[in-house]
Amino acid sequence: MQRIAQWLPCLVAAGLSIGVSAAQAQVEVDESTFGGLTARALGPAQTGGRISAIEAVPDSPLTIYVGAAGGGVWKSIDGGLSYKSIFDEQVQSIGALAADPKDAKTLWVGTGESWTRNSVSVGDGLYKTTNGGDTWQKMGLPDSERIARIAVHPEDGNTVWVCATGHLWDGNEERGVYKTTDGGKSWKRTLFVDRETGCSDLAVDPQDPKIVYAGMWQFRRFPWAFRSGGPGSGLFKSTDGGETWRPVKTGLPTGTKGRIAVAIAPSRPAVVYALVEAKETALYRSDDVGESWTRVNSSFNVQVRPFYFARLVVDPTDYNNVYKPGLTLTISTDGGKSFSSPFSGGFNFGGVHSDMHALWINPKNPQELLLGTDGGLYESYDRGHHWRHAKALPVAQFYHVSYDMEWPYNVYGGLQDNGSWMGPSRGVAAVMNKDWRNVGGGDGFWAFRDPHEKDFVYSESQGGNVSRLRLSTSESREIKPLPGAGEKELRFNWNTPIHLSASTPGTIYIGAQYLFRSRDRGDSWERISPDLTTNDPKKQGQLESGGLSIDNSSAENHTTIYSIAESPKNPNLIWVGTDDGNLQVTRDGGKTWTNVAGAASNIPGLPKGTWVSTVEPGRFEEGTAFATFDGHQTGDMKPYVYKTTDYGKTWTPLAGKGLAGYAHVVRQDLVNPGLLFVGTELGLYISVDGGGHWARFTGNFPKVAVRDVAVQPRESDLLIATHGRGMYVVDDISPLRQLTQKVLDSEFALLPGRPATMVIPASQQDFVSDEEFVGFNPEESATITYYLKKRHLFGDLKAEVYDAQGKLISTLAGSKRKGLNRIEWPMRLPPPKIAGANSIIESQYAFFGPRVPAGTYTVKLIKGSETQTGQVELVPDPRSTHSAEDRALQQKTAMQLYGMLERQTYLAEASLQASEQAAKVAAGLPATPAKDGLRKQVEAAGARLETFHKRMVATSEGGWLGGEVQLREKLGTLYGGINGYEGRPTKSQIDSAGVLNGELEKAEKDFAGIVDHDVAPLNRSLAGRKLPPIQVPSLEEWKKKDSGAEGKPAAGMPVVLPLFF
Amino acid sequence: MNRKSFAWLIVGALALTATTTAAWAQTADELIEKNIQAKGGREKIKAVQTLRMTGNMDIGQGAKAPFTVEMKRPHKVRMEFVIQGMTGVQAYDGSGGWAVMPFMGKKEPEAMSADDLKGMEDQADFEGPLFDYKAKGSQVELLGKESVEGTPAYKLKLTKKNGDISYIYLDADAYLEIKEVGKRKFRGQEVEFESTSGDYKTVEGLVFPFSLSSKPKGAPSGQTITVQKLEVNPSVDDTRFAMPKVEKKEGAPKPQ
Repeated sequence: MQRIAQWLPCLVAAGLSIGVSAAQAQVEVDESTFGGLTARALGPAQTGGRISAIEAVPDSPLTIYVGAAGGGVWKSIDGGLSYKSIFDEQVQSIGALAADPKDAKTLWVGTGESWTRNSVSVGDGLYKTTNGGDTWQKMGLPDSERIARIAVHPEDGNTVWVCATGHLWDGNEERGVYKTTDGGKSWKRTLFVDRETGCSDLAVDPQDPKIVYAGMWQFRRFPWAFRSGGPGSGLFKSTDGGETWRPVKTGLPTGTKGRIAVAIAPSRPAVVYALVEAKETALYRSDDVGESWTRVNSSFNVQVRPFYFARLVVDPTDYNNVYKPGLTLTISTDGGKSFSSPFSGGFNFGGVHSDMHALWINPKNPQELLLGTDGGLYESYDRGHHWRHAKALPVAQFYHVSYDMEWPYNVYGGLQDNGSWMGPSRGVAAVMNKDWRNVGGGDGFWAFRDPHEKDFVYSESQGGNVSRLRLSTSESREIKPLPGAGEKELRFNWNTPIHLSASTPGTIYIGAQYLFRSRDRGDSWERISPDLTTNDPKKQGQLESGGLSIDNSSAENHTTIYSIAESPKNPNLIWVGTDDGNLQVTRDGGKTWTNVAGAASNIPGLPKGTWVSTVEPGRFEEGTAFATFDGHQTGDMKPYVYKTTDYGKTWTPLAGKGLAGYAHVVRQDLVNPGLLFVGTELGLYISVDGGGHWARFTGNFPKVAVRDVAVQPRESDLLIATHGRGMYVVDDISPLRQLTQKVLDSEFALLPGRPATMVIPASQQDFVSDEEFVGFNPEESATITYYLKKRHLFGDLKAEVYDAQGKLISTLAGSKRKGLNRIEWPMRLPPPKIAGANSIIESQYAFFGPRVPAGTYTVKLIKGSETQTGQVELVPDPRSTHSAEDRALQQKTAMQLYGMLERQTYLAEASLQASEQAAKVAAGLPATPAKDGLRKQVEAAGARLETFHKRMVATSEGGWLGGEVQLREKLGTLYGGINGYEGRPTKSQIDSAGVLNGELEKAEKDFAGIVDHDVAPLNRSLAGRKLPPIQVPSLEEWKKKDSGAEGKPAAGMPVVLPLFF
Repeated sequence: MNRKSFAWLIVGALALTATTTAAWAQTADELIEKNIQAKGGREKIKAVQTLRMTGNMDIGQGAKAPFTVEMKRPHKVRMEFVIQGMTGVQAYDGSGGWAVMPFMGKKEPEAMSADDLKGMEDQADFEGPLFDYKAKGSQVELLGKESVEGTPAYKLKLTKKNGDISYIYLDADAYLEIKEVGKRKFRGQEVEFESTSGDYKTVEGLVFPFSLSSKPKGAPSGQTITVQKLEVNPSVDDTRFAMPKVEKKEGAPKPQ
């Protein structure tokens, strides 16, 4: 892989510090080590992710805060046109948002979503900003795990109530209703039922904040079932500002209750609505400040999935208008008696994404709605009849990632409730929403391009519904294995593993409780294992899952296969991990299986039955494998990462220092066996020493759940599937492969990277609006990477690039941070010399120098008095259709014009300067020309120089639209055209270059003539009068003086020079 | 070098045993004083009447614009940069600002808007905003010690007279600026920027950054400026900063 094998570490480094070097400790890898290695977000934002909370400040334009289920907090200050992320460094699962009504810059964030589906993430308490999201303070309740609601006192921002839902998978103390009166410095738990019951909703009377309601909810999730409801559930009321509480019961169901939502009508707070999950879930209304209740509605959308949709919003201006987000949105205008949907006929096909969790109604204009769904954020200006999807929010929730080998390559993955998608790793100018293609529906998980039958993409929806899409026609075929005669039902996980054999074309695997293998791309399947799970009937309760409201969506299917991997070293060696803790291995293609975890666990420190979240066969030794185990569904949040080198007989824990969050995935690098990547619920972690030490990767990368990681082998790119921020790429991780202890301990080190592809110059006219997410391309450059032990502060830090002849062709400013740094070399010579005129030459490529030829270049990295030398290799774009001969002709022609532009610029500048000198001299001579022949002579020479200059460059007043074309404009435009295309120039272009060269030679001759016949005699006359001569430098003299480079002005380019002193 | 860091290690170990408040004994004013010392001292800075810097500005794709900046007390600044042989000028004479942007054919100077001027006023303050900040109507608050990309730094919050806020990070060993993050109000909207400084060099006893990068916050790249030559107290005439007088021309063709 590494075509750039040689680099020459500098010999100096040691010198200064010999005296005490023995006492120095080894440098440990931490977050800053990866320094300037940054990730690029690809999106998609074409399709969204789950939005769990919305808050807005009803000024014009609106300030909007959007909380995503796994994608942090986003802020718009322009009414929802553009968004920026303001919560990257914190946990990304958002439960509740609340702005201080008296101070729009103060926002409270409750982390941990309370829509407790199987894939829900976790929070770690409360946060507060007082400056609109620039900085955050942690405000307590770290063990609350999830927060359903925050309410700020309408008059006193220091008084805040928090509805803490608490743990989902076990019992805990930090749940219920909390209150602060000192802005969050201290909290008092004022309502607590038991360790199994948390707060599901809370409402504060806006006119009399002493009146507070809280819904309390008993619930629990198990890996195989969800249970909503229990004796702990109930509706509570306080009349002393949430200090003391009593249950309210009159008119409410007497039996077991589940999740409860409560909403006060702001325009008449005596009217209160409550949604109560019970044997018969219904909407209740109170007209007497919550004392007694009447059942008013139990329509489908009111009843549906209370654990996921228990939310009510009352129109701030009309107490009879009630909004019920649910599977769809329904609205009552008669106080809850009847509901109808704003969507035509109550159906919502092809329109707004279903599954609605958050709704905000503008109190100043109740026609204006903001709606949070499983598919992102929508806005309506007509009470829900028409909607706009916010396409600037990249909060997609991926489960997995794969890639193909196209150029540019594509990434593939499936999204929570948003189907399966493929998208390019780079676009023509950027990766846009429209560049993504949908390749499957439902909830998406694994998706793969068939590496041999390239028209096929495999994807799946929940519960093992795998299909094969023909890309060219969009025709899709279901290929799910089905039970044979007399066979039991197949148990497929929500996130069913599909695996492509790396060695055998057409071979794919899928796991139910059995492992299936297809040799013909899914047309037929063979069962190659017995039931590999525990098949424990106690863990197969999905049909009864839900508690009070049965909820069997396949999300709780358990005792299933969850991970499959065929060894890249041996196709008969297959690893299978199950969700109930078995890790099975076969070394004979499925004939015999050994359970190396499970009941007779020999894995130190691993609780029995812990979910096998990945198994990753070693890429270098057959007996080696890595595995992550995930116990979060039993309340065990620890990361478990292990390695075996003996086919699973013994295991060594790798989850050492630096790792946090339950682990989803471990991957080994393709080149360096010690370079490991682990994705957890709290970010991406990297080890360069085989798992001894870990550091979180933070380069433009949030603290987001990382569900899968892959390394694209050709580009050495790290692909990161996040569950909340879409897909990310870290371009060229080869420098990470070089981070040995020796390098880490060195003062600085130049590190080789991958060969730089000279991407075909291309552009696309595209007027992107701010309401669309745009994923940046990698820069079109060769990347020079180096390591600094400490930030560079004093003296030069720069890189010089030399060609094969040892000629310096580029000097680049260096970046100076601790850890890895990157400099981008655009692989071009400096921009051409172009003379000043009445307007810039607009041809885009006239601003750039010619590209250097492909080949090997030497890089000198200079840090103060020390230098390190390495090489970069430039290779043509593999898509290029041009022969080496054509490329060479393009190079030659571009270089010829580059040289001509320099000669032409000399003529223009020298003639202009000489004519200006002449004008000055003339002005100093007596005004009556008849009496002074010298003045006449000066004026004549000056006029000739000026006429000549006007032939060289456009000088008319018209400027940009003047249309004047002189030699500069002709040369510059022709150069730009040839420089922007890397194949053979057209015959017309080559001919034109010849014609212009003729014009240039004639101009050079003419200029020499003026110098000889006008300026030289004039200078003799001037010398006779003891006056200074008109100076005309030679081309060589001019070149020496004019060494500055030039370039294109960026739009509105302000010269920003911070901190001069 | 190492002897010094060994000494610091001992100091650090002692600090750990002290109370946390003792660790924050340094005040913002003490830090600013150290920052001034690190740059050459108050007297030397006060003695600077004019400055001239020349260098290159990287503006992407290998394109570079040569630039010159001239500054003069009180509050005068002029910047020039060259694109395709045409020179753009921005200048501020302490009260008004103007610019020449000849790239589309307009050669006459134009007055700068109040928003554009704010940036110029900042740059004209060539002592930097921390120096005598009280006299400039600003407030500075020490927010503590933070890691800037892995380098320990003191974080100072600067609130300017006009309400603009920025955070300035001083390297914890050298007390020199390494990073600034802030917001400027631009046509009523806040524009966030971040900038870094480095490659510090000594010129006539004063310490200057020779490398400056700035970009809008969150952007993948921005501009990097490399200073090639810095002159202290060169001769710079006041006329360089004043807006040139323009004769009104009638009937000049206008772009559509």
